[in-house]
Amino acid sequence: MSETAGDPHGSGRRMTLDEAKRYVLDAARARGIAAEVLGSRARELTARSHQQRIEQITQAVQGGIGVRVVVDGRMGYGYSEELSTAALDWMLNEAIDNAHLQTETDKFLPDGTDVGRHDLVGDGLAAPLESKVRTALGFEGTLREDKRVKQVMFASYTEREGDVTLGSTQGAEGAYRRGVAGVMASVVMQEGESLKQSWDADWVRDIRTLDPAHTALDFTQRTGRLLGARPLQTGRYTAYFEPKAFAQLLAAFWPMWSGRSVREGKSRLAGKRGERIASSLVTLIDDPLLADGLATRPFDAEGEPGRPLTLVDDGVLTNFFTNSETARALALPNTGHAARHYRGVVDISPSNFYVKPGAGIRMDTGVIVAEISGVHAGTNSISGDFSVQALGLWAENGEVVYPVENFAVAGDFLTLLMNISAVDAALKWEFMGRMAVGTPTIAVTDLSFAGV
Amino acid sequence: MAMLTDSLVSDVLAYARERGADFAELYVERWKRRALRVLNDEVKEATSGVEYGAGLRLFYGDEVAYAYTNDLTREGLLEIAQSLTGLKGQGGRVDRRGRGGLDFRKAAPQGLHAPAVPWEEHDKRYRLDRLREGQAGARVAPEIRQVESFLLEWDQEVLVANSEGTWTEDRRVRTRHIVQTVAQDGGEVQTGFYGPGLSVGLELFERFPPREVGRTSGEQAMTNLRATPAPAGTYPVIIGNAFGGVIFHEAVGHLLETTSVAKKASVLSDKIGEQVASPAVTYIDDGTTPHGWGSSEFDDEGMPVERTVLIENGVLKSYMVDRWGALRTGYRATGSGRRQDYTLAPTSRMRNTFIAPSDTPVGNLFEMVDFGLFAKSMRGGQVKPGSGEYNFGTQECYIIRHGRIEEPVRGAMLLGKGPDTISKVVAVANDLATGPGMCGSLSGFLPVEVGQPHVLVSAIVVGGEAPNPAAGSVMR
Repeated sequence: MSETAGDPHGSGRRMTLDEAKRYVLDAARARGIAAEVLGSRARELTARSHQQRIEQITQAVQGGIGVRVVVDGRMGYGYSEELSTAALDWMLNEAIDNAHLQTETDKFLPDGTDVGRHDLVGDGLAAPLESKVRTALGFEGTLREDKRVKQVMFASYTEREGDVTLGSTQGAEGAYRRGVAGVMASVVMQEGESLKQSWDADWVRDIRTLDPAHTALDFTQRTGRLLGARPLQTGRYTAYFEPKAFAQLLAAFWPMWSGRSVREGKSRLAGKRGERIASSLVTLIDDPLLADGLATRPFDAEGEPGRPLTLVDDGVLTNFFTNSETARALALPNTGHAARHYRGVVDISPSNFYVKPGAGIRMDTGVIVAEISGVHAGTNSISGDFSVQALGLWAENGEVVYPVENFAVAGDFLTLLMNISAVDAALKWEFMGRMAVGTPTIAVTDLSFAGV
Repeated sequence: MAMLTDSLVSDVLAYARERGADFAELYVERWKRRALRVLNDEVKEATSGVEYGAGLRLFYGDEVAYAYTNDLTREGLLEIAQSLTGLKGQGGRVDRRGRGGLDFRKAAPQGLHAPAVPWEEHDKRYRLDRLREGQAGARVAPEIRQVESFLLEWDQEVLVANSEGTWTEDRRVRTRHIVQTVAQDGGEVQTGFYGPGLSVGLELFERFPPREVGRTSGEQAMTNLRATPAPAGTYPVIIGNAFGGVIFHEAVGHLLETTSVAKKASVLSDKIGEQVASPAVTYIDDGTTPHGWGSSEFDDEGMPVERTVLIENGVLKSYMVDRWGALRTGYRATGSGRRQDYTLAPTSRMRNTFIAPSDTPVGNLFEMVDFGLFAKSMRGGQVKPGSGEYNFGTQECYIIRHGRIEEPVRGAMLLGKGPDTISKVVAVANDLATGPGMCGSLSGFLPVEVGQPHVLVSAIVVGGEAPNPAAGSVMR
């Protein structure tokens, strides 16, 4: 019996995701409609330490189901976190109603197969709660050992585990489970009048490979070296983008390789397959199956199995990311990069996206860009323009001389790719939720810096 | 309309109190959302959904335990209460008060921001027609290649109940219409953006006629297509009104939230009563603005929202304080506890934040500038409260020479340190306007309004293009 008052959907009984998936697909079949259902359930645990106490602990389960339907070549979407029959009926009706709104009649659901059930987690997140809490406390403790640390805003341990289940009236069927664990912190450091705040995180697939003490030392070392920064003279210099900074640029500009951007006239790379678009030192790869990859997945949001894809090969544009719709529209192969959260629509996303490591860098004179910020407002993946705030170090003849601050670095991303003069040999990964971005340090000549 | 019964809510709160929590709060939400994306007159995506869940927050002193679930049955809610109290241990204390039913003091919204034209008034076809008007309005020149429109409709029902007997219901209806335009000339591609939104229903289309929304976006893309890269350096900047207020949202607003103030992790901690800005600056955070994008009747902790004067004539008057912040700092809570949705615990956040106008005409500001930048329209920004370092992107800019607005420039990011920038405010004009944005922080992404009149700052770092020595030698 339900105690949910005034519930317009009647019964409060909650189905499992698989039950809900079957219910919606059966209802769609009964009405002669093509439908695809994506369900997911995410579990989260976060322990946040502040001044050696667990200031906040969060434990949660969240899930829901999303549907897309095709009616007479028109597509519509719906979703629900309320898994009652009435709520699912409402969702399906809205999706059908939304489909009727569409004017284009060339939409379709891809033919699918059974792509199996996969467990990518195993016992990777298995540890007693107490040891996870101790990880957060110990992490904060190590951060505070550096005397320049004025305040630790928070230091936390987080794990996320997600179950994804997919099914369609066109034969797609599959499920997987994946998870990550990580430590993150925001630290304010001070030396004299100089203050620097940084936010950093380190993620792994297997909790046993987390090394919070090492990560803490790395954080404080990387932020501490920026204390006492001086202004930078406005000018054009060689930039040495450290992995954390370059990963953010790649995460902002990857839509240039999205089949959707190409199709919608929002990518300057459209029509340039086979052309040189970057320095010959640049090879860009996406690998959804990467062992230990933070965004590894066996198949995409439409049930297309994952496989490695080279987007730029020695500077030459070779491929775009596609899903079933953009592949058909652009007459390209489906690369299996459909992405969808149940609340959203089918889009495109990289998985483990990385710059192939190069021969190494010999540093000369220029700016080591350690951090960039303002990326969401300071980059435009349609025009290619970027202008972002940065922090870093001034280097002369291969030696770091002093830290620099209060400057912006600006330019055009495609010009930047052409001006890459060296790629370091060591790859580092940043986890960005749906995707992971890997890059070594990258040297770029003749970049514009605005300071004093 | 209540989403859960009194007795169920009371039992969940009592369960947590009995097992040692000093304070328990249940947040329940049903959020219907619709989104429509139209590209070049074709509907690309139409989606509808319902988000439905609850968040349980427990205080043990000033330590917080938080859990959320989509399972709003008695079993589901008691399960998260059990899991949380288990995580915190029993605390050796059993409190039997509240057992047998809390006597809730119920507060319901008066409909201060209720929609005049509710969803049901028009069908989806009507919405599509309005979006197409916007698309037509955006096609101001043959160079306009792409016009993309979004209509976002939110209807969020919220219940907040706590172990002190608070029972607050609120309903927030918000509508936003966005037009993004792409202009292309040869290999040059530039964009325009305009996206008004308010706590209203479909009357948004009357307040902001779609054709005008489109035209603004289209003209901006054309301006940027003609623009040259902004010159890099440090010089005076006049920041446009309305969404220009994002600079103070980043440079000052975030530094006044107790989230960082309580931990002394803001450069403006412990400065009440001190001169922190130029005397030209009065800065207000107002959750009560009728139909404001960031307005509501109650905050996400069940407290009535208010109008909070943060800075008056440059002197710091108040922080933005939530329950946790009040507990930690002793400052009075200001109805500023906000969260994206049930998956996040609330923190102190901005609502509708703006710089108060003076009586100085806008023209006077320009007359003060010999060479500078007019940042007419802004994109978002970012700040680190611990160092005060902020930045924000620009969407439409011009060079000012001898007080006149001259050629358009693009690609300028403005950056600096907040306390330094607010001390360099030379003048504030008389033309206050506001604009909607989405603000991201610890408790997620929230609708906020930012606003200001035109503001002149004597020096800001402008990240544009540094002179190219190679090009210079060709000139010679």
